[in-house]
Amino acid sequence: MSILTYIAGWPLLAALALVVVPRNYRVIIRGIAILATAISAGLAIKMFCQFVPGSDGFQFVEQHTWVESLGISYHVGVDGLNVGLILMGAIVGFASTLCAFEIQSREKEFYILLLTMIGGILAAFASLDLFFFYFLHELALVPTFIMIGIWGRGEKKNYATFQITLYLSIGALIALIGLIALYVQSGANSFDIPKIAEQLKANPMSVNAQHYIFPLLLFGFGILVSLWPFHSWAPLGYAVAPSPTSMMHAGVLKKFGLYGLIRIALPLMPQAAHSWMNILAWLCVGNILYVGWVAMRQKDLNLLIGNSSVAHMGFIFLGIASLNLIGVTGAVLIMIAHGFLAALTFALTGYIYRQTGTLQMSELGGLCRKLPFIGTALLMAAMAGCGLPGFANFVGEATVFFGAWSQPSLHVITVIGLWGALVIGGVYMTRAIRTVLHGPLPEKWNTLTDANFWRKLPYALLLASLFVFGIWPRLLTEKINPDVAKIVAVYQPVLAVSAPVNTLQKTAAHKTDSAAGSAANEQLAIVNK
Amino acid sequence: MKYENLPWLILLLPLISAAVITLFTLRSKMISSLISIGAVVAGFVMTVIFVNANGIHFSGETAVSWLTIGNLQVDLGLKLDALSMMMLFVVTGVGGLIHIYSYGYMHEDESMARFFACLSLFTFSMLGIVLANNFLLMFIAWELVGVSSYLLIGFWFEKPSAGDAAKKAFITNRLGDFGFLFGILMVWGLLGSLNFSVLQAAMVANPLLLGASATVGGLLIFCGAMGKSAQFPLHVWLPDAMEGPTPVSALIHAATMVAAGVYMLCRTLFLFNHDALQFISYIGGFTALLAALMAVQQNDIKRIIAYSTLSQLGYMVMVVGLNGPTPAMFHLTTHAFFKALLFLSAGSVILGMHHEQDIWHMGGLSKKMPITFWTFTIGALALSGIPPFAGFYSKDSILAQCLDQKNYLLFSVAVFVAGLTAFYTFRLFFVVFLGKEKSDHAKHAHESPLVMTAPLIILAIFATIGGFIGIANNYGSQLTPDHETLSFGQQLLEPLKTPIPMCIGILVAVAGIFLAFVLYKNADKDPLPAKLGALATWMRDKFYFDELYEATVIRLHDFIAAVCGFIDRWILEGAIIGFIRGGTNLTGRSLRLLQTGNLQTYAFLFMFGVAVLLYFVLVK
Repeated sequence: MSILTYIAGWPLLAALALVVVPRNYRVIIRGIAILATAISAGLAIKMFCQFVPGSDGFQFVEQHTWVESLGISYHVGVDGLNVGLILMGAIVGFASTLCAFEIQSREKEFYILLLTMIGGILAAFASLDLFFFYFLHELALVPTFIMIGIWGRGEKKNYATFQITLYLSIGALIALIGLIALYVQSGANSFDIPKIAEQLKANPMSVNAQHYIFPLLLFGFGILVSLWPFHSWAPLGYAVAPSPTSMMHAGVLKKFGLYGLIRIALPLMPQAAHSWMNILAWLCVGNILYVGWVAMRQKDLNLLIGNSSVAHMGFIFLGIASLNLIGVTGAVLIMIAHGFLAALTFALTGYIYRQTGTLQMSELGGLCRKLPFIGTALLMAAMAGCGLPGFANFVGEATVFFGAWSQPSLHVITVIGLWGALVIGGVYMTRAIRTVLHGPLPEKWNTLTDANFWRKLPYALLLASLFVFGIWPRLLTEKINPDVAKIVAVYQPVLAVSAPVNTLQKTAAHKTDSAAGSAANEQLAIVNK
Repeated sequence: MKYENLPWLILLLPLISAAVITLFTLRSKMISSLISIGAVVAGFVMTVIFVNANGIHFSGETAVSWLTIGNLQVDLGLKLDALSMMMLFVVTGVGGLIHIYSYGYMHEDESMARFFACLSLFTFSMLGIVLANNFLLMFIAWELVGVSSYLLIGFWFEKPSAGDAAKKAFITNRLGDFGFLFGILMVWGLLGSLNFSVLQAAMVANPLLLGASATVGGLLIFCGAMGKSAQFPLHVWLPDAMEGPTPVSALIHAATMVAAGVYMLCRTLFLFNHDALQFISYIGGFTALLAALMAVQQNDIKRIIAYSTLSQLGYMVMVVGLNGPTPAMFHLTTHAFFKALLFLSAGSVILGMHHEQDIWHMGGLSKKMPITFWTFTIGALALSGIPPFAGFYSKDSILAQCLDQKNYLLFSVAVFVAGLTAFYTFRLFFVVFLGKEKSDHAKHAHESPLVMTAPLIILAIFATIGGFIGIANNYGSQLTPDHETLSFGQQLLEPLKTPIPMCIGILVAVAGIFLAFVLYKNADKDPLPAKLGALATWMRDKFYFDELYEATVIRLHDFIAAVCGFIDRWILEGAIIGFIRGGTNLTGRSLRLLQTGNLQTYAFLFMFGVAVLLYFVLVK
């Protein structure tokens, strides 16, 4: 059996095992959950190290036919696109299980749901079969709603549950329609993604059909990723969710939609993707700029971080919209980096909330004095959130900017993105630090206690991951690069002309840029015909 | 190149020190401070060894690939030439002395280990700026010095003013960085490389390579320098940054980090065309003038020196714009000596005065703190440009460059600022050290321990001789194409080659000092406000730039944020959710109408259905 089956299988198996453990054996319940996710994370690290960059096709493949008539099979495998995501997902899964100590009631049910979520999403990322890809994501998604509804905090719990369920179900539904249409249109009579890709390579889908299917995937997946203007579920949902849930959802589940876009929509429907990318690019301005401003207004720390997380999705969309090697690689980098970061911040706010019972920033202040470890970690997370070098997020964001800049039509949006990343991000993050961590400590918080060794573990793990990939990004880019190159190869006619050439003899490149852009469009138009 | 790995070690030791302190030794002040001091002093020693082995006039690069994605190629690479070697001396040398001094200054503070961790992080990042061989690496180090400055300004974070100052510094710098990264993207887009050597070769081969974007690109890159070197209009953060501990002000906000902008301009000077340089020089000149005026009416000992730093940075930026990288780097280096000296002496005064910073509560400290008094005097003379102190030589080279470029407007500004500099420096000097004690603290002031005075003495020596020990030679050999190397005697007499700026420079400096002597010899309070009226108020209130920004930029952003917040809350969320909920609700209500519970209705519908079915089955 493939190592991937084990990575996703251990948490799911543990969820099953927990069903038969009596509910008052709390230590055993926790132990099983932590052990299973630890094994899963360890295996994921092993898998990541064994992965051979740039080899042809998928690695660690395993395939069993399930429903032959429909062409459904259990098919898992990794390439550069999902190898990092699975690593990130498994580590975040382990960290969020460690953070589940904050749950005090109905622990057994909580752990079962959490493990289902972790196993489900890891399997979804590994899956190369459209049916399982979608089904496993739903398996991971549904526990989110239940967890927010039952273990959520604050008065707005019910409204938030209602909203997040509504949005995500609709998003998933639209994506499902798109996927089924894709299955039907491809004519491969198979749910197998590589098979569909092969089939479409031989006889490309009609441009007309692409133009119907692509927007379904774009907006369906987009809603799952809180694409502007369908984002308002996210901040509120994360603010009321128990922190392991926000960690898993904001960190890992949210990347599913992006992964779907890059894995399925971009390579299979190139013409439609190319014509929709301009719209996507402008929508991501909504994420970066508008949601950034909204974040500046927040008075609740978790809402601020939730909004900031939505704003970060904008950079990923920008990277995707640039449709070139640099941009899409950057997008995948941010997906991984943001997974660690979102998990880290929600874990930290969860710790603070458990101690103080509030995340209203006006109530907090000077926490660095009483909580030096948590405070420092939160400061680092805030800095990573506003793109400080040394953390993986910077590498991703910078790469996206370079990628977007090499697409002349995106110049304006790139500059807006820069403003959002450097200035707006800097403003709300330093404001948050100023009000929460700096300043005098209100007297009522004199009883706070800092994290002990075991509580520190998840934070340290996530911070270390951010540092490792931030300081040595080649660990990721070398793996991501070759497979992104295969995907963007479809757009090569566009790329070959409009990207700046790496030879210095090319003079006054800017003059040819606009001409190149239109030439590329013409070329594509010819392809369309 | 011998000892090729040494520069890597110089760069990484402070980073290792920061990591080790943060992870392991936060509980021990002693070990932490020794690690941090050891890292930077070792860096200095290794720089000496490296320069001894290779000489200073060489050029080399050493790199490993950091990130390669298509045509985005970023190296983790060091550029080793006279420019970076001299800066290595400044950062590790002056930095090392300040580290040692900090050991005495911060001794009482319970968070001393954290202080040294941040200081090491800063040293690492600053060395990164100095050694970087490409734009992105420099930008990375650029951001990291920004954050270490943020951490150190906010070191006493429980003080609201310190937290605010840190935030302000960070955001203002980020504004500059926005332009910087924008400019980097533009240059990369047009030239396809980030490596300084490659870019330079390309630009030398074809100066018009940047085409129409040359001016804009240059100015965008200058934005970075504007933020970091606190040039108008982004100058507002530097005075507030004095909330940090005094050694930090000396190291970061006087000697090294704020000079990074000037260093960056000199490093990338080949990118700038004539128009861009013109703009840069006027910004520099204006900053020099504005800050000098503000300095005249400040009463906080550190803020006076901070405004003076602003003003001197304006000098450097101005002369870079006048095509004089050598005078700029020369002044940067001597300035690092005497400004660090002034700040550290001020720190010694502040410690002796039990953290009193208002100069009108001091007075008569010359007898109580003799070493500090003498070192401060040397620093003040050097800053005012009195021969033979270091500042005289570098300032003279700046004035000469203004004349050489025939820019008489900027020359007169520079001369006027030189006079003002001497005036405000000696205003501070007379009020603090001479006259009678103006408070109880001043009566009980005491001299600082040796660990603090020793660095003062070493810096004082360099502030005295820095003008003629070959600093300008080393820079000139790289930066000025037709530079001739001068012997010791020639250097000593160099200003005589340009007698006009020299004489005018000395004259205004002496005039400034004399005026300060007349006004402040025995003053108990400032006589200037009465004489200058409203102008003095404007100077004291920094020409209301803070208020202006508060009312415009910050309000505007807050307003936009409020509008977006409103839209998000009430329109996007409300409307979409309302639409879905309302739609579902409406469907439910209308479908409910079908279920009346009335038997006749059901019977009617049933018959109707049968009729329709029959129609389709039979008729069609």
